[in-house]
Amino acid sequence: MTDFMQVLILGLLLGGVYALMASGLTLLFGVMRVVNLAHAAFMILAAYIAFFAFELLGVDPLLSILIAMPIMFVLGIVIYALLFRRIEGTPRYVEMTVLLTFGLALVVEGMLTFFFTGIFRSTGPSYARQSFFFGEFFVPKGQLLALGVSIALLSALWAFLTFTKPGTAVRATMQNRTAAEIVGVNVRRISAMSFGIGMALAGAAGSLLSFLFPFFPSRHWQWVAILLSLIVLGGMGSLKGAVIGALILAVASALMTHRFGPSWSPITFYVALFLVLMVRPQGLFGKVVRI
Amino acid sequence: MTPLLQLQDLTAGYGAGPDILNTINLTIESGRSYCIIGPNGAGKSTLLKVVCGILKPRAGEVLFRGNPVGGLRPDQLLGTGICYVPQERTVFPAMNVRENLIMGAYSVRNRATVQERMARVLEMFPILEERTNQLAGTLSGGEQQMVTLGRALMVNPVLLMIDEPSLGLAPQVADQIFATIGDLGRLDITVLLVEQNAHKGLQCADWGIVLDLGTTRFEGPADGLLQDPRIRDLYLGTRRGEVKEADR
Amino acid sequence: MAEIRVEYVVGADTTDVAVRRPKSIARRGLLVVILIVVLGLPLARFIGPYNYVLQIGMILLMWVALSSSWNIVGGYAGYISLGHNVFFGVGAYFTAMIFAYLRVSPFVSAVAAGVFAVLVGLLFGLITLRAHGPSFIIATIALSLLMLNFFDNWDAAGGSSGIGYPLPPFPIEWVKVPFYYGIALCAIGAVYLSYRIAHSKFGLGLRALSQDETKAEVAGINTRLYKVMAFAASGFFIGIAGSLFGYSLTYFRPVTFFQIAIAAQMVLSSIIGGRATVAGPVIGAILIAAVNELSVVMFGATALNIVVIGGILLIVLLFFPQGIVGSLREAGRLPAFLDWD
Repeated sequence: MTDFMQVLILGLLLGGVYALMASGLTLLFGVMRVVNLAHAAFMILAAYIAFFAFELLGVDPLLSILIAMPIMFVLGIVIYALLFRRIEGTPRYVEMTVLLTFGLALVVEGMLTFFFTGIFRSTGPSYARQSFFFGEFFVPKGQLLALGVSIALLSALWAFLTFTKPGTAVRATMQNRTAAEIVGVNVRRISAMSFGIGMALAGAAGSLLSFLFPFFPSRHWQWVAILLSLIVLGGMGSLKGAVIGALILAVASALMTHRFGPSWSPITFYVALFLVLMVRPQGLFGKVVRI
Repeated sequence: MTPLLQLQDLTAGYGAGPDILNTINLTIESGRSYCIIGPNGAGKSTLLKVVCGILKPRAGEVLFRGNPVGGLRPDQLLGTGICYVPQERTVFPAMNVRENLIMGAYSVRNRATVQERMARVLEMFPILEERTNQLAGTLSGGEQQMVTLGRALMVNPVLLMIDEPSLGLAPQVADQIFATIGDLGRLDITVLLVEQNAHKGLQCADWGIVLDLGTTRFEGPADGLLQDPRIRDLYLGTRRGEVKEADR
Repeated sequence: MAEIRVEYVVGADTTDVAVRRPKSIARRGLLVVILIVVLGLPLARFIGPYNYVLQIGMILLMWVALSSSWNIVGGYAGYISLGHNVFFGVGAYFTAMIFAYLRVSPFVSAVAAGVFAVLVGLLFGLITLRAHGPSFIIATIALSLLMLNFFDNWDAAGGSSGIGYPLPPFPIEWVKVPFYYGIALCAIGAVYLSYRIAHSKFGLGLRALSQDETKAEVAGINTRLYKVMAFAASGFFIGIAGSLFGYSLTYFRPVTFFQIAIAAQMVLSSIIGGRATVAGPVIGAILIAAVNELSVVMFGATALNIVVIGGILLIVLLFFPQGIVGSLREAGRLPAFLDWD
């Protein structure tokens, strides 16, 4: 039983971080119907930023978040303006976003590999190797801190969306783009901003990733598949779904790993993805949309 | 006096497709309510979409109070007083009625004004008053239509364009909606209505316009159009020889 | 004076008028010339880098086979698969394991590998094609990663250490020749299949469902069946190519075949050449594979490779989404010898 509880704890800790990673991705889809296959590639880019900030300047990865987020926000707006604005309204738009972000992911991965090679990297702040002990259970310090950051950022996101005017405009655009347009929301500007926010969230997640997992450029494919399975389960476009999907699958994968070994961890996500697509394609909280 | 809205040789279409509106010319005077009828594909909805900025014109001019507005974005046009209620139910499904109405006033800065207008809208639509906290996605078709109308009224529009309000609604509910639209004239709002149900549409309007193949075919006072035998045969679906269509 | 015949082709919900030029002499001539060059290349035993030339030729032809096959699903049916390298790897492993356990040469079991790939395609198609649009694409990525994971952990297939063959039993000067011919036949077969599908009722149905699936269904097309068949059929030549290519490498690991760059190149080749055309994937494949080889020669096999692929993909998608053949055709300037539709 204690074993099970321990695994559960680890799963939940991880789920919180996955939720942060997935939230940016699902936000992009909800607001702009963009399936961002490059999301994890940008996360890894941010991880490299955190890594070099740590190695060269001694900046703690948690602080790197403050560096990574603004950079990624601006990058997001630029990418939106350059790539996505021009394809808005074209036929087969969603498919185009997939292909575009696919190409983007390749470019990012290639650049990262070229500059930083494929060596496994990891930042090593002290808390990454320490744990808290609660009775029979241990809680890795790094993961707990990461969870804290995730909760803080997700709460900030929630507050932004619920209480601010631009945030409400984002929510409105997510629910019904045409309606938002006709009540006076500048959907172009909101889309750009949402892209920036989504990327900023990826940036924060990347900083956390840098000390939670070893990373290298081509790792992002595995991450993106995991994140996609999370948001498909939760329902694409639903932030609530992303959080819940993340928690469910993180715990499930932790249990599978515990039972069958670490190589089964990613397989849990893929299998879940296929199951959801077969049984209930709109996920838990998504709309039934025939795209 | 400059007409409220003028379309001059307006041509528009979707994507790479053919022209739906074909050098159409139209004049809308303020203070009257208009109903546009016509067969499918005539360009009725397209016309509204061009005026409200969702669709860009391919050629020609749209003049609002004498100023060219063709090609402006919807949120910019909202500022001039042009408001659009589209065909599809465009409520915000995960927001309740109150929040939907507040969203309607997104472009309004003064909070007091927003509260004032909301009170007025809820007065006009007592059913919505009962359901202010209900999620808009769970409302019935007619109630959703009222939300979209009420939302449009939150900006005190000068020109209110409504696209097929009775679509998908039961006849009784549609009647209610039409009655409300008919009352809008009292609020000094120029209403431009597009309707498939030509009878009901013309009955609640002052002036009727028949659109076909992207241009205006006939225009005239609404009851005149209702009586005109040519229009009756072509667009109102009555048989020759019948004395008068009974109202339902 | 060339006569223009007008044929009425009944589409899913409209009546299209397809104007077909009679097969011009130029096009027939070109095809014959191409066939002669392709099939005759190894016979021209010239001095110099013979094996290298054959190797390059084999690579180019292999990509022609891969892209033309991908095009059946990604082009005609409009379902973008980013995991099509699954067939490639499955074919390679099939023959490698048959050889390892039963000592049957890949040249004998290659066709069986193709059939096996089709069966795998049927299975995967049934699962993934329940999803539409982006969900399908995501599912194919997951599929590819799943297979990578699976083979990495499957000890009977060598796991992540890979699997190998002994050297092929041919004299060293001619060792490339059988591989070359095997792949060449694959390429010819794949292009021919693509052509036949494009000109069949099946192909018409695929095109209809790629435009508007709901309307196609309503018009009576069994879209589910068509999609799954297209997915499965596209695996055949890819599987064969995989098995032969694997043998030619003599040793490979799961990541050799299941890396995303291969799927990316398949997709890019078709798109840059022109999706849903017969000649498009061929041109695109040759172009991209040649650029790839060239950049390896000039800059070494660095990661800049995928930067280039990604970059070209972005540019093509944004500015020339119809690809070379499609854009030319739209501008009315498609030379007859490129019009294989």
